[in-house]
Amino acid sequence: MDRLNPGVRHAIDCLVTVASVLLCALILPARFSGIELLGTGPNWCLIWVVAWSLKRTPLQSGLAGLCLGFVQDGLSMAQPSHALGLALAGVLTARLQKQRYIQEDFISVAMIVFAMAVVVETTMAIQFSLQYLVAAAPKSYPLLTRTWLYHQQIALSSAILSSLWAPVIYYPLNRWWRLAQATE
Amino acid sequence: MYTFRRWWSTNGLRLGLMVAALSLTWVVRQTNGLPVLELYRWIQQAFQGIPSNAEVLETARIQELQSQLQEVQQQNQQLRSLVDYPALDGQQTILSPVIGRSTDQWWHQILLGHGSRDGIEVGDVVAGTGGLVGRVSHVTPSTSRVLLLSDPASQVGATVSRSRAMGYLRGQAGNLATLVLFDKVPDIKPGDAVTTSHLSHLFPAGISIGTVRSIDLDKSPAPEALIELTAPISRLEWVVVHPNPKRATAELSGGEE
Repeated sequence: MDRLNPGVRHAIDCLVTVASVLLCALILPARFSGIELLGTGPNWCLIWVVAWSLKRTPLQSGLAGLCLGFVQDGLSMAQPSHALGLALAGVLTARLQKQRYIQEDFISVAMIVFAMAVVVETTMAIQFSLQYLVAAAPKSYPLLTRTWLYHQQIALSSAILSSLWAPVIYYPLNRWWRLAQATE
Repeated sequence: MYTFRRWWSTNGLRLGLMVAALSLTWVVRQTNGLPVLELYRWIQQAFQGIPSNAEVLETARIQELQSQLQEVQQQNQQLRSLVDYPALDGQQTILSPVIGRSTDQWWHQILLGHGSRDGIEVGDVVAGTGGLVGRVSHVTPSTSRVLLLSDPASQVGATVSRSRAMGYLRGQAGNLATLVLFDKVPDIKPGDAVTTSHLSHLFPAGISIGTVRSIDLDKSPAPEALIELTAPISRLEWVVVHPNPKRATAELSGGEE
């Protein structure tokens, strides 16, 4: 790594980052044993956004959240958008300034992912509710209560699974970025 | 000018990368994940292991049943033409493997290993072992995404086979759905079979959906019944995709009801 010139090093760094995003997108539809809870899997995009945002500025983190949200929009449904929740999660994580207040270990990363999963799912639930309120059909009010009942189940299962699986994404990426930073 | 040039030399690359990342992911969003899904399908095919004995036998059995079904459909068609019954156009069904599940928690979807290249179109009806599963919502050249019946957003006009009581079915998480009935005092009891109704814009009539598990007549504004879907949606490995004869009306109305 040390012997390469800065341009090549930068290119490799970008390539690894893009590859890791692609990997996250590719395991989203896959299900293997130990990955499922109540029919849902971990939110890999969220784990990636948190891992990215821990040591970056709010702007970079928010943009990363938007990008990953667009990918997830493409893979499930674009309305309502996932980008909003993930961008919010990115900015909040960056604002935590983890290095200063929280020790660096898996437990704290898992805790942050847990909290951010709740933030992301709540943002989705709010967007769904707004959609129903704008539609304002009499039939949409029962949907409103159902959305929030459903939200509890989704937020909890997603938070548990994502925080448990967080180290799988966080550990190698963090190692890589630390290495890349050290050589610069 | 000088300050701008200095700013550009330090931040230009970063800005460029940001714009590139945003536009790249925007393309993924606008194409409904086409590049990612095609890559997923390609990798999935490469990793597909040697099928076990039971799987081979099951697949063979499914294919046998399918060819029998086609034979019966053919005969049915001929008989219909003999009695001048309004004809269904020659339909080719596609047997497709389930290669993936929903990519987020809010939508209940499955990903199939065939796409527009094999003749699947948006709006096609997807059935599994036991009955209706859902409807194709997006297609790429070699994959297609199905919005499941169990998704809370999917609504289907349904009918109780025995008494012809009508209602509409709304998904619930898991293998359950709620049938909201139109009649105040419907003729319905636990164990009744439920099929798609001829009033549905999205599905052909008479496809098996599930059985009635319990009924709540006091529910306001309309009585509701809990339906257990017959197709084991969370365990499906193969499904059959039927071209949808009601596609034209579905496209016009845009949604159920």
